[in-house]
Amino acid sequence: MGVAFVAHCLLNQNAKTDGGARCPGVYSPAVEVLRAAGWRIEQMPCPELAFTGLNRFWAVREQYDTPAHRRHCQRLAAGVADAISIRAAQGEDIVLIGIEGSPSMGVCITSSDPLRGGRPQWPDGAPELTSGEGIFIEELRLELQRRGIGFPRVAGMTHPLPGHDEDAEQAGLRSVLDQ
Amino acid sequence: MEGDARSFRIALTADAYVNPPPGGVDGLAVLDEAGWGVMQLPAADYPAGMTRRILADIAEQVLEFHRHGYDIVLVGEHGGLAGALAEVAVPYPAGISPATAEELRQFLRARPAPQVLRPPGQPG
Repeated sequence: MGVAFVAHCLLNQNAKTDGGARCPGVYSPAVEVLRAAGWRIEQMPCPELAFTGLNRFWAVREQYDTPAHRRHCQRLAAGVADAISIRAAQGEDIVLIGIEGSPSMGVCITSSDPLRGGRPQWPDGAPELTSGEGIFIEELRLELQRRGIGFPRVAGMTHPLPGHDEDAEQAGLRSVLDQ
Repeated sequence: MEGDARSFRIALTADAYVNPPPGGVDGLAVLDEAGWGVMQLPAADYPAGMTRRILADIAEQVLEFHRHGYDIVLVGEHGGLAGALAEVAVPYPAGISPATAEELRQFLRARPAPQVLRPPGQPG
């Protein structure tokens, strides 16, 4: 067991915008696995909530890839890096749990569409998923690099993705915790 | 907000209720069961300066929920929270430091509907 730094919305789906929440509050499938494995939970901040707010539109990473938003992410990432450095110094095993498909919190899959902008209309099913990290995860990686701290292994929760399977999602999380 | 799964209820939750010690109250489990969102407060063993910065970030997020009429409560205590919320002019929330899970359940059940869900003109 160790310390799992979790995306904010895994404990608080209220940080999602309209239509984005899977459940009223806590995303139980993630917490169940962490609890069963005896891992400590530490919640990260939601970069989108504080910057673009609760009335934000669904977005892709290009819409968050601005100098001002990256500075915002750097500030939040510094707080998370502080916590990771303390736990690492304590000899804790650390895992970062992000949200696949998120323009901010994706760890292996993010959302991208360089042409998206203007009046918020795009066809249902418009392609946007791509390999890569969200903006906040990128800034956290850079901050940890600056401090000489190795980037933790990651697990990405898949519930926002098409074809999501909860059992597979939990199995994926378990396999990362067990590494 | 038809089809919106959010509960519009937020519990600022002390670390000891998210990561309870042996025999402690699992606040996270109760809040999950009751459909509340959790915003975890900094661990007690973090240095003061770091805790202040984290609380400032938390307060900024809480302000957004407060502005939109979400119900916000405090589970447990954190000494720095009052100052951080005062900086962003968010009222200190009603709270409880429950000794049992049932105590917490009763507290949550007694909460009024969030302002954001009330018909326009209905008082808090």
